Amino acid sequence: MYPVNPKLTRRRFIKGVIASGAAATSTSIWYAANGAERPPGAVERLIRINVNGQVRSVDVPPQETLASTLRYKLGLTGTKLGCNRGECGACTVLVDDIPSYGCSILTHSVKAMRIETVEGLESANGDLHPVQQAFVEELSPQCGYCTPGQVMAAVGLLRANPNPTREEARQGMAGNICRCGSYDSYLNGVMRAAEIG
Amino acid sequence: MAYMHIGKDFVPPDAPGKVTGRIKYSEDYTREGMVYARLLTSPVPHGRVVNIDASAALAMDGVVGILTADDVYPDGEPQSTGLKILTNEPTLVGEPILAVAAVDEKTAESAMALISLTIERLPFVLDPLDSLREGGADAYTGGNTFVFRQGFAQEKWTSDQITSFQNGREPSAEPQQSWEYGDLEAGFASSDFVYETSFSTAGYPHMSMEPRSAMAYWENGKCYLHGTSQSLTALAEPMANIIGVPLEDFVFINEATGGGFGQRSRAGSIPSMAIPARFSQKINRPVMMRVTREEEFTIGGARQGLQGWIKVGFRSDGSMAAMDMYCVSDSGGKGGGGDANSAAAGVSALYQSEAMRFRNTSIGTNTGHRGAQRGPGENQIMAIVAPIMDKAAEALGLDRLAIRKMNAAQNGDVSGSRSTPFTSAYMPEALEMAAEQFDWEGRKSRSRQANGSKVTGLGIGQGYHNAGRSGMDGIVRMLPNGRLQMHTGVGNLGTYSYASTSRAAAEVLKMSWDDCDIITGRTDRHLAISSPQDGSNSIFTNTRTAYGAAQDMLAKMKEIAAMDLGGAAADYDIDGSRVYQITDNTVGMTYATVAQRALELGGKFTGEAEVPEDLNSLTALSVSRLAGSALMGIYHDPRHAGNPPGFAVAMIEIELDTETGKFDIIELVNIAECGTVVHPQGLKNQLVGGAVWGIGLSVLERHLYDPQNGIPASTGFWQSKIPTYLDTPANIGTGWVDLPDPENPVGARGIGEPSMGSVSAALNAAISDALDGHLFDAAPVTTDMIINHVAGISEEAIPLAQNNFRG
Amino acid sequence: MVATSHDVMPDIELYQPTDEASALALANTLGSDGWLLGGGQDTYGWLKDRNKTPAAMIELTQVDAWKGIRETADGVEIGAVTTITEIATNPLIQSKYALLSTAAGRVASPQIRNVGTLGGNLVQDARCWYYRRGLDCYRAGGNICYADSPEGLNREHALFGSSRCVAVSPSDTAPALVALDATMVVSSVGGQRLIAAQDFFVGPARDITHMTVLNEGEILTAVRIPNTWANAEFYFEKVADRNVWDFALVNVAAAFKVSGGTIEDVRIVCGAVECVPRRLDAVEDAIRGQQRSEQLAEEVASIASEGARPLNYNHFKVPLMENLVKRAIRG
Repeated sequence: MYPVNPKLTRRRFIKGVIASGAAATSTSIWYAANGAERPPGAVERLIRINVNGQVRSVDVPPQETLASTLRYKLGLTGTKLGCNRGECGACTVLVDDIPSYGCSILTHSVKAMRIETVEGLESANGDLHPVQQAFVEELSPQCGYCTPGQVMAAVGLLRANPNPTREEARQGMAGNICRCGSYDSYLNGVMRAAEIG
Repeated sequence: MAYMHIGKDFVPPDAPGKVTGRIKYSEDYTREGMVYARLLTSPVPHGRVVNIDASAALAMDGVVGILTADDVYPDGEPQSTGLKILTNEPTLVGEPILAVAAVDEKTAESAMALISLTIERLPFVLDPLDSLREGGADAYTGGNTFVFRQGFAQEKWTSDQITSFQNGREPSAEPQQSWEYGDLEAGFASSDFVYETSFSTAGYPHMSMEPRSAMAYWENGKCYLHGTSQSLTALAEPMANIIGVPLEDFVFINEATGGGFGQRSRAGSIPSMAIPARFSQKINRPVMMRVTREEEFTIGGARQGLQGWIKVGFRSDGSMAAMDMYCVSDSGGKGGGGDANSAAAGVSALYQSEAMRFRNTSIGTNTGHRGAQRGPGENQIMAIVAPIMDKAAEALGLDRLAIRKMNAAQNGDVSGSRSTPFTSAYMPEALEMAAEQFDWEGRKSRSRQANGSKVTGLGIGQGYHNAGRSGMDGIVRMLPNGRLQMHTGVGNLGTYSYASTSRAAAEVLKMSWDDCDIITGRTDRHLAISSPQDGSNSIFTNTRTAYGAAQDMLAKMKEIAAMDLGGAAADYDIDGSRVYQITDNTVGMTYATVAQRALELGGKFTGEAEVPEDLNSLTALSVSRLAGSALMGIYHDPRHAGNPPGFAVAMIEIELDTETGKFDIIELVNIAECGTVVHPQGLKNQLVGGAVWGIGLSVLERHLYDPQNGIPASTGFWQSKIPTYLDTPANIGTGWVDLPDPENPVGARGIGEPSMGSVSAALNAAISDALDGHLFDAAPVTTDMIINHVAGISEEAIPLAQNNFRG
Repeated sequence: MVATSHDVMPDIELYQPTDEASALALANTLGSDGWLLGGGQDTYGWLKDRNKTPAAMIELTQVDAWKGIRETADGVEIGAVTTITEIATNPLIQSKYALLSTAAGRVASPQIRNVGTLGGNLVQDARCWYYRRGLDCYRAGGNICYADSPEGLNREHALFGSSRCVAVSPSDTAPALVALDATMVVSSVGGQRLIAAQDFFVGPARDITHMTVLNEGEILTAVRIPNTWANAEFYFEKVADRNVWDFALVNVAAAFKVSGGTIEDVRIVCGAVECVPRRLDAVEDAIRGQQRSEQLAEEVASIASEGARPLNYNHFKVPLMENLVKRAIRG
């Protein structure tokens, strides 16, 4: 069809390791260019991370954000980039049960922790998580782009506080923008999820 | 009327995919060999590209190619306003000049730094009044305004004219646009209360959650574009034209759209999607162009800001006798926006002023392009007019609800420059319903009551938009397995209208929803043209087409039954997916059998003959590709008569802290008057969403550029102040009048935009109420404005500035 | 001028020391080429924009010694990489130093508080949008201020202490810690120095490119709050445009020791009105020894804004600041 750069077909440069098509990190070049000695102890790129209960081996440059790793290395595109600046919450994932902005956290910072994304919530038999079920029943999403982040924030909230008041739910969900303005419907969903929990 | 589907909730097929993250937006796709494009955008608000030297960037390892305006406009750029794909003549900071593709985004970004861009700076302007001033800069090369069919022109006022306007007096300059009805002079002469003021409303940015990323590739001469839209089919043909590919060789793929609000309705408002398509064609690779949040701001556009003068006269009974309005509209860097005209039409519709005059002049500025964004003008102007209604009620000794009822639109009323009759109108009923749900009578005594530094304010707001169009097409197919396939072009925008309007077809055929499939998501599934799903029109427009297509199918089914089982088509009825004789219901055929017979019969039954001649070209193409595949219902919707209004009424109680300028919303009720309710949960979502938008417009959102450099100051969610959970109430009350409209087969009209205007109006009125009836004559009314007012500070801010803090 | 919206993290090295000595050594070795990384909430934007281009990040959050909240003989010590959420919800802080937990609870958004650290909140850079935009302003090493100009958009800028730059202190926890008379523990390979919170922040007259006294190679490792103000009567309020994410238009943190209605001692601090948290000594002096009352609040509030030099669009901060001080005194 079209000519393919051999670099791009280099899907896996080490067996079992998911790699990017990008050139290797070049910070060492900076040190060389500046005549500086590179201090020891910089991170290794090949890491194993626990995502949705599965340990995945992946090649992660030092500066890579968790959202990038999830979306572009692991194919977990449920985690959305709305702003890539920590200003919207669409990329919210759980890190050791704590809701965090995937766009504003380094993968290397959380490599020893449990990472959960919206793709990991359904039960083995395919049943929706109570939060997902409640969001469908209340038709909480509108355009749906913020929804994975809202879902993860709600799951994190309910793990910490299984029976929140509506005001507690509102405070807990506050780090997620919904441009469609579906906040009322999301709160209905959180309260219903707490009921069916 | 008892319906099977209309007015009932259901699980829209995309809902599970949204909560599991499985549904795909354009940037979620990938393709073997895909490269990544990034944009180099204008660093200056107005300029001319003199030279581009990309040799160093192209030599960089991993860089695959570059696409410039010369590539996309080999015969020169169009000399008009309107968004371009790429440009060498930027009129705002952030306008795309070229794109670079590389093996990854980081490399593409790094390559940008190696591109030497020589650009000649031209004078720029950010506020229409600065451009109108003699000697003021013009936003475009060739003028500060664009006259349809004539081209660029220059519009200038004298200093005295501008100063007089800024000081709140009627502008004396000749307007570009005007209309009038009734006897204005007599109206004011008969008025017992007249209020006159200048006002300003800010632009507010689009900021859909999903940036308008797009990915494209070419295969066997066909162009495949993964993009974002409000209607796959309304967008497809003009987008094919922009890309330069025949419609039959263009496949637009769009499973889900992360917010549209008008800006993704038409190809012309989102030509950036053509960049990866043209780029892919040039470099023979799939190209992903991820759009950043900042780019979404700069190329995503905004609602127009208005600077205006308004004069309203009321008789002692509260009736609005005359309304005179003059606007200077900010058309931004790419032209666009007819907000002022819609604002005036909206005032006419909602308050039924006996005489009215509208005048407007549109002036360009070197800021983001202006266009659709949940309500053209009406939502802004209602925030200005609602507090004036209260001022009139106070002056005339009337109840604030009563003065609104006095002027409310009813069946038989007309509105707008052509005195168009409403298809139906039940504003008094909506006001009554809101008053009851809100307990207006019980609450109204709390108005202006103080508790420490907190003061209670009450507000009533009304919203309106012309909410229905016609002339689109419908396609439904019955398969030999008895399943109904509804081919809809309505985009999956979050309104769920793509599904709820399709249900009109299931209703006609009395089919179980479980036996129905909505066919959508990509144009090579052969969809019918739909409205662009803008202007609150989907429900009205596309239930008409779904209904009509199903009626066509129903007639064909009865005809087949009569052919096979005897009698005339009129002797048959349907139920339980069967066509049967009315006199003996044991004599009948299942839908599956009818569909099988249709395949045997062919001809008109399968869309191979007697296809409606007036189908839109895209629908005709789809029908030709589907012909012979199943029993088909095909329909071209004729034009409707009259103006189908979407109406909303909101009531709000706030507690405003005069020491901090902050307030809590104690109660908010938003009521719809939009004909028969088709999908309660979807309608409820429009009402709560509209409320959040109304709050944003009234008190928070901003669209700012630095006067010194012309660079955007509010590019992200943070700086543009998009409302959050904690800026909006934990509970929003909703309700609907639910009376059918005669121009729609299921009685429905639209609601998306009015549901915002009602709340923007009510909130501004409530703030005014809490401040003893002070009128800011502006939207938004921000925290600092309230503090300044209470403290008696008059800042030196330019009173009518568009591009500034109002202060 | 920026012609491209950068959005991808550029190449940069990352060090993740797990003990104090290694972290301090790295900070020392890398100097200005090493970026101290807490929760990163004021890091990644700078790097993605390529407006700051350090060669390496030194992540401080893996050093256990710099984490957690410990009660000490004379107060409490909070590790600098303790998260804002932990501070907002910690029972000890909530019971004895609620001024800080309340302020922490008003920072940014829940997710930012979950990973953002106290140290990061204190040393975060100026939020002036011109500066963040990558323009060549004084704070960025240039010779112009776009905000303090006839046309500048300066609604969120300073009333006091301007010197070429008019950016304000954006932190919510900083005024609380100044009010609590906290001490900053600053470490380097050369040892440790203790700095009063009030002296930790610096304005543009002293150093226009830094907002704290931290030198290259130095790390803020802990904050100590003395018992002196434990269980005092506190008042914190933040007024911002939006109630999530936004930085304060003005905030106030105040601690009162009241006995029999008489204010025996008091510290009042405002944020977002100056480049540093502004201690309101004159107001404190005026009310010390007085009966805490509505009337007193009304009488002295105007002292709070004495010396203010409003810019074009931030006059509102004068009454807002006075009102917040009034509310603090009223209690």
